[in-house]
Amino acid sequence: MSRTNRNFMIAYAVLVVLPIAGLFGVLKHGRSLAAPISVDGVWRLQADSNQLAALPCGSSLASTQYVAVTISQSGKNFTLSLNNGPKATSSGVLEGTTLKAAVLPSAAWASQEGCGTDHVLTLNATVDPKSEPRTLAGLLTVNDCPSCAPVELRAVREGQDGGKKSH
Amino acid sequence: MPNLFTLVLQIAVILAVCRVVGTLFLKIHQPRVVGEMFAGIMLGPSLLGWIAPQISAYLFPPSSLGFLNALSQVGVVIFMFLVGLGINPKELKEQGHAAVLTSHVSITAPFVLASFLSIYLYPKLSDDSVAFTSFALFMGAAMSITAFPVLARILTERDMLQSRLGTVAIACAAVDDVTGWCILAYIVLLIRSAHIATPIWLTVGGLIAFALIMIYVVRRLLQRFETIYRERGAVSENVMALMLLLVLASALCTEWLGLHLLFGAFLMGAIMPKEPKFVRYVLDRFETITVTLLLPLFFAFTGLRTNIGLVKGQEMWIYCALIILVATTGKLGGSMLASWLAGMPIREAAGLGTLMNTRGLMELVILNIGLDIKVISPALFSMMVIMALFTTFMTSPVLELICPEKLIRAVPKQVPLPQLDLKADGSAA
Repeated sequence: MSRTNRNFMIAYAVLVVLPIAGLFGVLKHGRSLAAPISVDGVWRLQADSNQLAALPCGSSLASTQYVAVTISQSGKNFTLSLNNGPKATSSGVLEGTTLKAAVLPSAAWASQEGCGTDHVLTLNATVDPKSEPRTLAGLLTVNDCPSCAPVELRAVREGQDGGKKSH
Repeated sequence: MPNLFTLVLQIAVILAVCRVVGTLFLKIHQPRVVGEMFAGIMLGPSLLGWIAPQISAYLFPPSSLGFLNALSQVGVVIFMFLVGLGINPKELKEQGHAAVLTSHVSITAPFVLASFLSIYLYPKLSDDSVAFTSFALFMGAAMSITAFPVLARILTERDMLQSRLGTVAIACAAVDDVTGWCILAYIVLLIRSAHIATPIWLTVGGLIAFALIMIYVVRRLLQRFETIYRERGAVSENVMALMLLLVLASALCTEWLGLHLLFGAFLMGAIMPKEPKFVRYVLDRFETITVTLLLPLFFAFTGLRTNIGLVKGQEMWIYCALIILVATTGKLGGSMLASWLAGMPIREAAGLGTLMNTRGLMELVILNIGLDIKVISPALFSMMVIMALFTTFMTSPVLELICPEKLIRAVPKQVPLPQLDLKADGSAA
């Protein structure tokens, strides 16, 4: 083997082969890492329509046969948008299996119901990571409204494989 | 049925904005394509949707985006064919050991650094539906890609294509793209196999058989295109249509086998005859409509999926800065180190590193695939788009700063790189 070829082999081993070996180490180590629970996808909300109708800004939600919510997740943060009924988008945070989001009625939603845009609906729910399809259960409350009774709700994720790893 | 008025209006607005922004970018010595990428972001929720939500909702209602996406994907399929067509493996062979080392380091360095960064980012920006292996490999592939077409455009505009730096950069970028797409194919297979009933060995076997047929059978048949061109000095419309049909058939095969349309289109381009005049002829026929009409639609569609608003708060911007830092250190630093060790003068090596750090359009293509298969989250997608824009935008000014044109053109490609001859202390001989 010529000197040039030998040097090439050494340089190649140090700069290419060694890092690739390191990559395998990283991949092995990474398997032990835990990422936030998956809540990404379309969820079908189920709640008592009478209780929903009693909430300020809640009658639109109650009048819809079912409300679908799309959650777009990025780690612990997510955005939540109502697919039917009143259109609204909000953001929330995931802490462990607890999901918290605040939905501020849009101007169109508020004017339709005559409820004002200052009624913040807070969703506080717990995700069941073992259920298939994935489900969540929690409460929908209205901020600054002591007389408003919290509404219990459940949701089932549609068209997902319940947090099954993609690999 | 698509609302034709909305669709035509969308196309008209996208074309107008892309042309205007592209022209403005030309004035600041940036390739037009960089301006068009920015134009796409401007039309999305990051700017138009933020400052004029009503106009944005009227122009791009969610129900219409499927048609826009379909059109833009047709453009990307043809574009990937053109990228494959432009790649010539002989160019790398001519460069010898130094280019082989540089190209391979320019892949492994950002790839490994990205996988290290994934350890930090995975618990913060991903979720448990994505395996760490898929996440880390995708991040590696996305950071190690080089925008071969944008690179060629920059080199052409700076009249550097015939310089030593230009030829080494083109050869290395070609290797990077082929390798990057092979890795991405593996990741897509890994992820899609979890959701389809077909066993993975059947999918892999099918793909290997398909690739072998393409390389050893179809490739020989494709030589006929070049023969026709050589004999007649042109190719009839029927022959061009046949070529396009073959591209679509190849794309459909890889999609049907469980991979992605784009891999088939790229492979068809890669096995096409490489006679320079023939390649130029085919590029000229396809490029105009693809580059002026269809790619801007892709930029706009990418922009509509990019929401810089998701990168909010100090923490998220730190992640974004880390991504840019790691991508640049790995790609620019890795290529520079390897080419300098291989004997390239330090300024030229820095210039090569800067050129290899151009990610541009190819990065956007890969990121869209990543978002489609949900291996990256929307916030991470937005951060990676920012990284792609940043690294592509920085290429021209940094190159001018560290590697002035007159210096580069002074070293034509006929001047070979010194033979790889490392001294004991690791410095280049």
